[in-house]
Amino acid sequence: MSEPLHREDHAATLLAGYRPLAGRHDELMGGDGKLRPQWRALVSAFSEMSPELRHRAATAAAGQLRANDIAYISSDTHHPRPWRLDVFPFLITPEDWTQLARGLVQRARLLNAIVGDLYGPQQTLARGLIPAPMVFASPEFMPNCAGYRARDGEFLQFLAFDLGRGPDGKWFVLSQRTESPAGVGYALENRLVTSRSIPEPFTAHNLHRLASFFRRFADHFAEIGDQHRSVVLTGGADQPDYFEHALMGRYLGYPVVESADLTVRESRVFMKTLEGLERVDLVIRRIPSEHADPLELRAPQGMGIAGLLHAARSGNVVMANAIGSGVVESAALETRLPHLAQALLGEHLSLPGLTTWWCGDADARAHVLAHSDRLTMLHAFRPRHLMTAGAAEFMASDADIADLEALRRALALHPQNYVGVEPLQLSTVPCLTANGTLRPAPMVMRVYVAATSDGYQVMHGGLVKVSGTDLSGGERTSKDVWVLSDVRVAPETLLKPLRAATLKRSDRDLASKTADDLFWLGRYLERADASTRLLRSLFLHLSGEASFGNVPVALPILTGLMNSFGHLSEHETARMRAAGFRGVENEISNLLFEPGNADSLAGILGNVARTADQVRERLSADALRLIERLTNVQRLRFRAHGISETVALLNELNDLQSALSGLIHENMTRGYGWRFLDMGRRIERARYGITVMKTLLVGRERGAAGVLGMQLELADSLITYRSRYKTEPELAAALDLILADDSNPRSLIFQFAAMRDHMAVMPLETHDGHLSRAQRNLVGMHTELLLADVDELASSASRGGNLGQLRRLLDRAEESIGKLTDLITQTYFSHSIGHRVTGNVIRSQDDAL
Amino acid sequence: MLYEVRHETRFQYEWPVAISHQLLKLRPRRCTRQNVLETAVTLSPQPGFQRDWLDYFGNVVEFVTVQGSHSELVVTSTSQVEVIAASAVMLEMSPPWEDVVAQLGTHLQGEWLGANGFRFESPFIRFDPTIQAFAREIFTPGRPVLDGARALTAHIHRNFSYQGGVTDIYTPASEVLRDRRGVCQDFAHLAIAALRSLGLPARYVSGYLVTHPPPGKPKLQGADESHAWFSVWCPELGWVDFDPTNNLMPSLEHITVGWGRDYGDVSPVNGFIFGGGHHQVAVAVDVHPLPERMGP
Repeated sequence: MSEPLHREDHAATLLAGYRPLAGRHDELMGGDGKLRPQWRALVSAFSEMSPELRHRAATAAAGQLRANDIAYISSDTHHPRPWRLDVFPFLITPEDWTQLARGLVQRARLLNAIVGDLYGPQQTLARGLIPAPMVFASPEFMPNCAGYRARDGEFLQFLAFDLGRGPDGKWFVLSQRTESPAGVGYALENRLVTSRSIPEPFTAHNLHRLASFFRRFADHFAEIGDQHRSVVLTGGADQPDYFEHALMGRYLGYPVVESADLTVRESRVFMKTLEGLERVDLVIRRIPSEHADPLELRAPQGMGIAGLLHAARSGNVVMANAIGSGVVESAALETRLPHLAQALLGEHLSLPGLTTWWCGDADARAHVLAHSDRLTMLHAFRPRHLMTAGAAEFMASDADIADLEALRRALALHPQNYVGVEPLQLSTVPCLTANGTLRPAPMVMRVYVAATSDGYQVMHGGLVKVSGTDLSGGERTSKDVWVLSDVRVAPETLLKPLRAATLKRSDRDLASKTADDLFWLGRYLERADASTRLLRSLFLHLSGEASFGNVPVALPILTGLMNSFGHLSEHETARMRAAGFRGVENEISNLLFEPGNADSLAGILGNVARTADQVRERLSADALRLIERLTNVQRLRFRAHGISETVALLNELNDLQSALSGLIHENMTRGYGWRFLDMGRRIERARYGITVMKTLLVGRERGAAGVLGMQLELADSLITYRSRYKTEPELAAALDLILADDSNPRSLIFQFAAMRDHMAVMPLETHDGHLSRAQRNLVGMHTELLLADVDELASSASRGGNLGQLRRLLDRAEESIGKLTDLITQTYFSHSIGHRVTGNVIRSQDDAL
Repeated sequence: MLYEVRHETRFQYEWPVAISHQLLKLRPRRCTRQNVLETAVTLSPQPGFQRDWLDYFGNVVEFVTVQGSHSELVVTSTSQVEVIAASAVMLEMSPPWEDVVAQLGTHLQGEWLGANGFRFESPFIRFDPTIQAFAREIFTPGRPVLDGARALTAHIHRNFSYQGGVTDIYTPASEVLRDRRGVCQDFAHLAIAALRSLGLPARYVSGYLVTHPPPGKPKLQGADESHAWFSVWCPELGWVDFDPTNNLMPSLEHITVGWGRDYGDVSPVNGFIFGGGHHQVAVAVDVHPLPERMGP
């Protein structure tokens, strides 16, 4: 154990080697090498911690982010990059902040006015305030959005600005985001994690809380969408910033929906629920404009709501932000903003952007070509992504036009698509290094602005992205932004949702798509459960560690069973039969965790993960953690070497599944959501039972040694059988237990009874005294099982017959399951997926999109 | 000339469709050399909802919803359109193309501003250096803009083969240029891409073409077609049409439905359905000359 260091020594270590970089403003130290006053308390608090403690705080923060599964998926590589946080926050003084906030609010008003004009009278173009090519060449200008009249002229509800500070201490706007700005969820997460990692400094500082900002913009949304429902529209659980869509939904008390959950009738938007359609009058849009409507915009297959643009133009739904609002994100627009502020607001633009040369202008183009070595070259209509970048990357030229030749070529074709920007030496901010000291690194700050009933308001906080090597948070780490206040700030919590959900017991407004996902989650969970049990039994048996009912079972039967469930291909089955189990022992992990085979255990677990992800909001944190452990296939695959390890692994999976089933059973409210999930389980359990029985009892191997014991084992009924009969298995008694005993939760009749009970209360089954088709089907099959005479079913076997009666019964049960799934899909889910058709006239033959 | 146009689109679905939304651009618009006397769009089964408006480009658009299970949907538009001959233009007298490009950058009022909306890439029309080089071969320095457009039209007609089924609406203009084949919309897209790569305003026009049966044979039902061509903008003269598929300047035998930046802005029938499975589409167009109206 090391000697505790003296306090001054800690301070010395913390700042050891901290040298502001030449030619840049350092946030921590003035030109005289002294700490700026706002940092003193924080530096002294950190100085009191030992380097180990600092390191521990940093690691704990990383651990929390990991546990909360916060990643950011890079839009260019589509690989998740873990979200990084340096717990040493960025501090900003009240004076600096007030000035920034004023400038950002002004910009928000200005951008809003420009969007309104471009999709309306276009006076800015006619008066020459904006050169026409700056708008018409932008892919973000969407002519079909013209005519959307925003309520109270409010086109933009939520904006983000990226800011940098120059050598003279002045702030500049580097980019402005108006489409559907990302990152506010990350800012909240950073705040939570930072405040937990360094609780004392956090409470000791008098800083603005984020909650009041969220309350105000939530109140504003509540005013807008006051008559009907409001929703958060996301591109889905696989989107880079899905977690913050979910967070926003939870926080505002609005459902998070995907395109398929919404539909247009006449000129109005509705959410599809199990009970029917519910009117929506506010859509918080978290999908790109272009993906919003497959009829009028170029939405990719499966994205968008047909008719949404028509509904919006008809004034029946508020889009926040307006579709097409990305048109003002252009870096070229910066050149015109000072004029526009004068012309549209009658004000001087208070917060400058960087000096920008738009190549659509011939003189500017010449200037850019002459100074291309010095200027930062950017695509004018392609936003830069701060969320995935570090500060330095964010400031760099776009790679495809970085060299002069490439630039010349690009300018010859589309001059108006490019800008040259005067570079900015970004200010540096103190960052914790891996060894617990502070080091300066360049920073960019993202700040959010939202519409409230008192006009635009700035969130008192934000995100800082830095770049540098050897930082505790990694080279593109982020930081929390602490806005210091000179008046006492009352603490407010962020954790509880702002809008209490209206008290209700039923979930009859469950979105159809969610019901669909829960149904499939149930099915995949049961498939995983069945496969794990099956594989475990087989492995134990094959390795000679167990036998069914004390009678060994021949290899062909076991491999045949694995083949029935898709775990082995025909080819592998044949090989295994020929070589014996030991011959393929080493390929075990490949068989179980074969990538690309949907029926392999890995494939099934992958589907569990995928469907669970779609319904994250409906599962508890405990359940999600279990699912994460259960479905981490990479890790599983790594461990499945050799038989005993594999058996141990399968045992563990089985335990996890049991725990998960228990959690769901005990904790999920008995609404429609649970019913759909359980229905999925019952369907798969019945199918599994039927397949096993067909393979073992009436298949080629019927009557072979040990088969009956194995059947009971796989139906999880061997112990019950033994305690009941105390004899070696016998067909009629076994059939009674696994087919017709309605007290056995693994029996076939039990599954049909459960399904019948579910369907009896489902919302779209007719209730006017008649049974629906699904209900009739289930009641019929249940009755047939109830009336089945097991002695007679078994008797044809004792007479050496082929068990035709049993086979027919199983066939009918299988058919009944198939019919049921079709009916459920048709009744509840089929309207959830639509597709595009075109009566294309212009003689291309294969244009059925 | 007075024409009656009948344009029928028939969708047949494998399974019943529960709801079908259609965005239709089927009503010919009024313009300088065309008067629309009557238009009607009917659907079978009957739509529960039908609403029309003028889009950003001034085309008539309607949004239609058919609700209730159906396995077939027929969209029929019938119109009576009067077309007058295009006035003759002295192509060589139009200004040099470079002058038009230069002036467009500085003139922002009225038509000039509108023309600027058709000078850049659009969702279905992108251009690259090969297209620009192709355009420069035809638009030699100082060439009058309309003379160049006429030469471009003739060049495409002469050197490209009309071939159905080898392209679709997503085929990029650069591919059409490389393979030298396609159908009318490909030729229109390529010509527009070439013009825009020089900075000239060019738009996509959709409409119908009157066809003539071989001498002595009766005209076949549905044998006429939807057609597409392009239009280039010239100061004072405004928009002037060219048909590269037939190497001519549209006049009495071209009926205009609408225009936009590219195919995507004027695609006649666009639907979104729930259910349906696989589907088949059959399109039939008939253009019949009617006796001229009497009177002054």
